[in-house]
Amino acid sequence: MKIKKFLTLTRAGIIESLQFRLGTVVIIIGNILYLIVVYFLWKAIYSSAGTDIVNGMTFSDTLIYLVLATALFNFMEMYIVWEIGRNIQSGKIVLDLIKPMKYRQYMFWSYSGSFITNFFFTLLPTFIVVAIVTHGAIYFGINLLLFIISVIIAVSINYSIDFIVGTICLYTESIWGINIMKQVIVMLLSGVTVPIAFFPEPLKSIVYHLPFQSIYNAPLSVLLDGNPQLNTVLTTIGTQLFWCVTMIALSKLFWKVSIRKITVNGG
Amino acid sequence: MYSIEMKNVSKEFKVLNRHEGLKGSLKDLFSRDYKIIRAVDNINMNIEQGEIVGYLGPNGAGKSTTIKMMTGVLEPTSGEILVGGNVPYKNRTKNAQEIGVVFGQRSQLWWALPLIESFKILKDIYGVSDEDYNNMLTLYQSLVDIEPLLHKPVRQMSLGQRTLSDILAAFLHNPKIVFLDEPTIGLDVSMKAKIRTLIHALNKEKNTTVILTTHDMGDVDALCQRIVIIDKGKMLYDNDTMHLKNFFGSYRTLKIRIDGNLKQQTEKIKFALPDFSISADEEWISILIDEEKAKVMEVLNQLQSSYEIRDMQLEEISTEDVIKKIYEEGVE
Repeated sequence: MKIKKFLTLTRAGIIESLQFRLGTVVIIIGNILYLIVVYFLWKAIYSSAGTDIVNGMTFSDTLIYLVLATALFNFMEMYIVWEIGRNIQSGKIVLDLIKPMKYRQYMFWSYSGSFITNFFFTLLPTFIVVAIVTHGAIYFGINLLLFIISVIIAVSINYSIDFIVGTICLYTESIWGINIMKQVIVMLLSGVTVPIAFFPEPLKSIVYHLPFQSIYNAPLSVLLDGNPQLNTVLTTIGTQLFWCVTMIALSKLFWKVSIRKITVNGG
Repeated sequence: MYSIEMKNVSKEFKVLNRHEGLKGSLKDLFSRDYKIIRAVDNINMNIEQGEIVGYLGPNGAGKSTTIKMMTGVLEPTSGEILVGGNVPYKNRTKNAQEIGVVFGQRSQLWWALPLIESFKILKDIYGVSDEDYNNMLTLYQSLVDIEPLLHKPVRQMSLGQRTLSDILAAFLHNPKIVFLDEPTIGLDVSMKAKIRTLIHALNKEKNTTVILTTHDMGDVDALCQRIVIIDKGKMLYDNDTMHLKNFFGSYRTLKIRIDGNLKQQTEKIKFALPDFSISADEEWISILIDEEKAKVMEVLNQLQSSYEIRDMQLEEISTEDVIKKIYEEGVE
């Protein structure tokens, strides 16, 4: 009975996103363009480096990583900050707050449908194409299962961070700057745009102590590791779990404190 | 137990004192100069289950703030609110299960989906049983012709259809209390009438308490037995609609149309009926009658004996006039 409440929102999300078929096509085209840019950029980087291996990664290693990172990004990005911000500005948030469900849950499950459609429209096709084109860069073994677990935790961390940033909108009542800042920070420090292996040493160790790398770097390193050692896997997923619990707690607490301050438009 | 109980409820907002111009805006970035606005000031009311209460007041009077406190979105600065026995802001999710809300300017329906999908989602969110859900749809079917609406995406609906759908959605989980915030705003006359009939029928059928805010006196006349008027956060009036009318409305306006030169006739009538205030426009001669002094029929008889009356109208003082009068003169 309880789970039905949530799944009905997932279902609605799927139907809703299927209504906008053209949007999906545009997103796929946009991604292909982005990947073309990435391809030539890194080709230039590697040819100017003069060696085949830079920071322990070959050109094709880097490219495979970035293609999968982009697909994962499109799968996970929920644009929740925009949505919360817009709802606060327009006052529509009142209608969400009077649903018999916690706001944090309501927002998550309302968007969960897009995970399903994004999985089938972007993540899975990209995955298959990469697997076929590279002939064995992706290993089919226990790492796939670990990858799925890792992605689920990553989704939760990503959502918590988005929700925290969205909550800040309650105070600022503006969204644009905050959202851009969040996006830049997350994209850089999580390893979506540049693999973390390329970071200079002090920055690298800082990044490994931040939650962001658990979103994209962690699942991808689990996936691309053909010979997973128990130790490495436990550290990676353990770190993810730590950040998952911490961020859930933080986002819940921050929301609880902030909602008391809410002054919705109109009186 | 009352459906809604409010005891000495006040709500204050802290607002930054903004300054004009570029210089002022820059100054505001660092300003700690706040002013306190008392949006709702010491409101008391008890509402019984099944009542339809009109909640009136000019723009910015504090109506929406009160509703937001009742729904649990806002926490009162001081005072106590109980909605169906719950403290709304403390048990927001539990309270949400017992209430339905319609905001005239925005929709809670799923924009891209056909109405029936929104209904199904709400059914699951509120945990309505299949049986109750089907009964409700049958009831809706008997009240309005919803069949053509059910399979239409909400974004393609007219404002009237959307409002109608929103009202049905708010009643779907059979809440004890429904808040309607300006439900007839921007609608044409026939749609207004349809929506009033619907609200009335649902209230009768399910004994739902309805709190209705509106600027349209037609809504109040058609639906409310009781009205509460607030202005600048303070409660001005809380009583029967009838009582208010009696209090101010022992006056009625008799309008007649007669042949001949209106001006001359008006003068003559003024002479014949010195106690009443008489005015005339292009067609009608209006006589304001204080019914405590004279019966309308007597005046009419007197006039009929000396003039040939072509047409006549009798007008009640409208609720709108009453509210205007309260603002001007106050009420004991």
